[in-house]
Amino acid sequence: MSQEVIDERIGKEYAAGFVTDIESDTLPPGLDEDVIRFISAKKGEPEWLLEWRLEAYRGWLEMATPEWAHVHYPPIDYNAISYYSSPKSFEDKPKSLDEVDPELLEVYEKLGIPLHEQEMLAGVAVDAVFDSVSVATTFRSKLAEAGVIFCSISEAVHEYPELVKKYLGSVVPRRDNFYAALNSAVFTDGSFVYIPKGVRCPMELSTYFRINEANTGQFERTLIVADEGSHVSYLEGCTAPMRDENQLHAAVVELVALDDAEIKYSTVQNWYPGDTEGRGGIYNFVTKRGVAHTNAKISWTQVETGSAVTWKYPSCVLRGDNSVGEFYSVALTNNLQQADTGTKMIHLGRNTRSTIISKGISAGRSSNAYRGLVRMSPRAEGARNYTQCDSLLIGDACAAHTFPYIESRNPSAVVEHEATTSKVSDDQLYLCQQRGLDAEKAVSMIVNGFCKEVFRELPMEFAVEAGKLLEVSLEGSVG
Amino acid sequence: MGSSMHDTLAAAAAAAPGWLAPARDAARQAWAETPLPTRKTEQWKYTSIAPLEQDFGPGRPVELDAATVDALLPDIGALRLVFVNGHFAPALSSGELPEGLELVRFAEADDSQAARIREHLGSALPEAGHPFATLNGAALGDGLFLAIAPGASIREPLQLAWLTAGDGQAFTVTPRLLLLAGENSCLSVVEHFADAGGSAPSFSNAVTELLLAPGATVNHYRLNLEQGRALHIGGVHARLERDATLNGFCLGLGADLKRLDLVVTLAGPGAHAELDGIYLPRGDEHVDYHTCLEHAVPHCTSMETFRGVIGDRARAVFNGRIHIHPQAQKTRAELSNKNLLTSADAEVNSKPELEIYADDVQCAHGATVAQLDALSLHYLRSRGVSREEAQVMLSFGFVNEVLESARLEPLRDALRPLLARRFARDPSLMRHLA
Amino acid sequence: MLTIDNLHARVEGKDILKGLSLSVAAGEVHAIMGPNGSGKSTLGHILAGRPGYEVTAGSVTFAGEDLLAMDTEERARAGVFLAFQYPVEIPGVSNMEFLKASVDAVREHRGEEPLDAVTFMKKAREACKVASLDQAFLKRGVNEGFSGGEKKRNELLQMLLLEPRLGILDETDSGLDIDALQVVAEGVNSLRGADRSFILVTHYQRLLNYIQPDKVHVLAGGRIVRSGDASLALHLEDKGYAWLEDEVA
Repeated sequence: MSQEVIDERIGKEYAAGFVTDIESDTLPPGLDEDVIRFISAKKGEPEWLLEWRLEAYRGWLEMATPEWAHVHYPPIDYNAISYYSSPKSFEDKPKSLDEVDPELLEVYEKLGIPLHEQEMLAGVAVDAVFDSVSVATTFRSKLAEAGVIFCSISEAVHEYPELVKKYLGSVVPRRDNFYAALNSAVFTDGSFVYIPKGVRCPMELSTYFRINEANTGQFERTLIVADEGSHVSYLEGCTAPMRDENQLHAAVVELVALDDAEIKYSTVQNWYPGDTEGRGGIYNFVTKRGVAHTNAKISWTQVETGSAVTWKYPSCVLRGDNSVGEFYSVALTNNLQQADTGTKMIHLGRNTRSTIISKGISAGRSSNAYRGLVRMSPRAEGARNYTQCDSLLIGDACAAHTFPYIESRNPSAVVEHEATTSKVSDDQLYLCQQRGLDAEKAVSMIVNGFCKEVFRELPMEFAVEAGKLLEVSLEGSVG
Repeated sequence: MGSSMHDTLAAAAAAAPGWLAPARDAARQAWAETPLPTRKTEQWKYTSIAPLEQDFGPGRPVELDAATVDALLPDIGALRLVFVNGHFAPALSSGELPEGLELVRFAEADDSQAARIREHLGSALPEAGHPFATLNGAALGDGLFLAIAPGASIREPLQLAWLTAGDGQAFTVTPRLLLLAGENSCLSVVEHFADAGGSAPSFSNAVTELLLAPGATVNHYRLNLEQGRALHIGGVHARLERDATLNGFCLGLGADLKRLDLVVTLAGPGAHAELDGIYLPRGDEHVDYHTCLEHAVPHCTSMETFRGVIGDRARAVFNGRIHIHPQAQKTRAELSNKNLLTSADAEVNSKPELEIYADDVQCAHGATVAQLDALSLHYLRSRGVSREEAQVMLSFGFVNEVLESARLEPLRDALRPLLARRFARDPSLMRHLA
Repeated sequence: MLTIDNLHARVEGKDILKGLSLSVAAGEVHAIMGPNGSGKSTLGHILAGRPGYEVTAGSVTFAGEDLLAMDTEERARAGVFLAFQYPVEIPGVSNMEFLKASVDAVREHRGEEPLDAVTFMKKAREACKVASLDQAFLKRGVNEGFSGGEKKRNELLQMLLLEPRLGILDETDSGLDIDALQVVAEGVNSLRGADRSFILVTHYQRLLNYIQPDKVHVLAGGRIVRSGDASLALHLEDKGYAWLEDEVA
């Protein structure tokens, strides 16, 4: 079937379904192979990618929703979700920010990430994603000078097909798990980064995601490849406006750190968590994984305060000898939020090292679980892991859980896991209040102290934002 | 599991007293609807029950001579009851029943005892059920009922030996112990599982229920020394009322299949549980300890320490869950699990779990997998001790630290050489231990 | 007894000893003093054969044999004893088991029968008395929960039982109160004899008030920069190490 025929057919079939109130093309809800063909055609994808998507979709059909996580939510009707929407103005491909739909820019202003200011922020390039399609990319010339590729994945499919073909799905196979398979079938956009051999990326790369359309799932796909001896720090920030209905987000992030390369991936996740009664909020089912080759290092840092339900385990496959994996996490849940998050450290190579520092804060009636796996394979001679999981409970109606899996098959490997729980004690509060702080400020201070080890892993501007975010997220948690 | 399990259940029915029938029939009903766990069942992720896939007949009485039994059971100066293949062996049992201790087989229970057994049997089992506890109930022929009178403090320990001895055909045994510790009573009980050898595989599916009334103290020792084809799946389910104390100690050698579920429910404020354990699989053995501390009410404490040394191609599983219920404020719970892997083909899977629904609690757990400490090894060698002997001494010391917490001194003394032997292939390497 | 010739050694990739030479005759007591980081402790560990301490050049001859070619336990059996600055805790292994294993290993090497339990116990009790340690320490785990002073006295206890030919005390005096210091000194003095030598590694002159050294050496920058008699120690006490460092530099 030729591209034109597909376009024509699908165009007809879905023409009536397009929602145009803010000038976006939105598919009506529902998922089948035609929807996937539509997405692929809409993006002008090559045949191999369409086939790749369809394979993923067929795999997904045979899979069951994972039920092992410590989260509860009503079953999701995947046919009630719309799988494509794109801001109409994108068709005109704005060449600069001036050409960008002012409505869009206004939304970003509200979120506190004005692009004009971002542009001026030294050292930060922004690839902003609005409802699945990349709308603006800055600082590209500076990156191009260094040979760094930073673009949307749709663009990369056209511009750098060999790289995409080689690495897409190489870390998270398209049938890896239920949500990854769904993402592989219907992903609409995301970021692509390639750092050439020996290059130290001259600036922090940053992407802000947000979800805006009613009932549009977001299926971002991120692929970062750090070639031998290169170095990159990538920031991902997420915010979303208030919504009444739950929205699904099933992203996939793949990191490839070739020999001697280093990737630092930082996230602040602040999607709409639902209201105090648990209405609305994002379902965040994310697959993030990196492969570290010889002497390479992958470091995940995350601050998770949003979403109604979080299901997320940024992982490291330490394939090469002497490779290093790190996971620093703060997960805060309040009201009726549920989080089941943690990491996997798969030690395959010799002398591989991993560190896990996880801080869980539960408030309100929320539930916060750390789930982690540390696996020492028979070949992981001399490998080391250190894990520390601390939980802080605020109020007597919340829950905090720790589910670490330790699997060791090498007698020279060392695994150390520790977990503690504590509460914000009345004595601590009393002391702070006696010194003139109100209860909320006091809790915020204590929580910030509790998270210090993780915050110091964040790039400066993120650390500040993260601290503020915790404060906002904890509003109303102390009476 | 083979089809002849039905024959086994039928044989059990013949032996059981009539008043047990309703409970047993209910268990059979439940068993018929119980799916067997697979590796996809979270609680059985690392343990395959494939070795059970053979036909097990009923355990038949086998004569064992006293010397064989003495070699299996250390003399700890205790009142001793011996069961062979599930059958009481009076000739091998010894000692006088102390005042305040009531002890009877289900088959011989009088009306009052039968009434109490009926009332309490199964009451410590988890509401959600456990497949093999259900099977135990379904196959129940006889059992042992033990009651300590309120206020009775029994000084002499009680040794219950559940022995298996093969007689040609694979067989299954269903030991069941129900212990009621009256208010402020005190007893030490040693449950000793061992295999006297023989030609046939055996499968023991044992359930122990410990019900501790307010203020009662029970020191419970569970030794699972069977190996090889003597398979064991066992459950110890304890329920502690106000201010009761359970001191539990476990020792497990490995077998083709060995799985223990230890579940302690702290049901009254002020209750305290200590749970210590050692596992030492080697060869191709497998051992799996699943422990769970249910903190159901406020002001309870629990301390748990399990250590294992895993050698050769053996595999160990430890899953230690601490569950703090929503009302259980002011809980203190700690768990430590440490493992030594001593061979390139050995494997350990450890999962300490915290599940917490109350905020004013202090909970901590830690787990490690490592090898012998290099500096300690150097220290011993710098005093002239050979590397091999130093390794034996350090491995021994690693688990002996846990053994030292066992309160029964004669038992400690009896177990030390057994532990040392596990590490010293050459007996001269353990000459300075035990 | 002991001849160290042009010894170079490194720890964790860092050169610590840079051409140290020293000769200790039978029956002599040598004190090695020096500022922190001069390599004093490294010397003790090199002689005892601690893993991770790498000899890059030079030789050590002990009683006519190449010490560096021997395993840690062989050195101990041949009569080299290092009293650790930080004795290691080994919970679960009793002091008694540990001592018996050591004594038997050393005796076996000398071609002697292992001591029977009663004789050994008697010797151990006597040694406890000299080391001023309660006999209860024999039953406890090796150094487990011992105070700093008790650990040092436990080292002395081991030395008394193993009767080495060369005793090396690695800053045994640091952190000791005066009573404990005297106990250790008396223990060492009781072992002194024509056949037995000692190396006292120390930062302070204080220990030498109680154990009279035959020779005093100053270690700085990984080499011995001064040697003299006991008066050198007093001089150091007076002037500190700074003047020496200037000299070395």
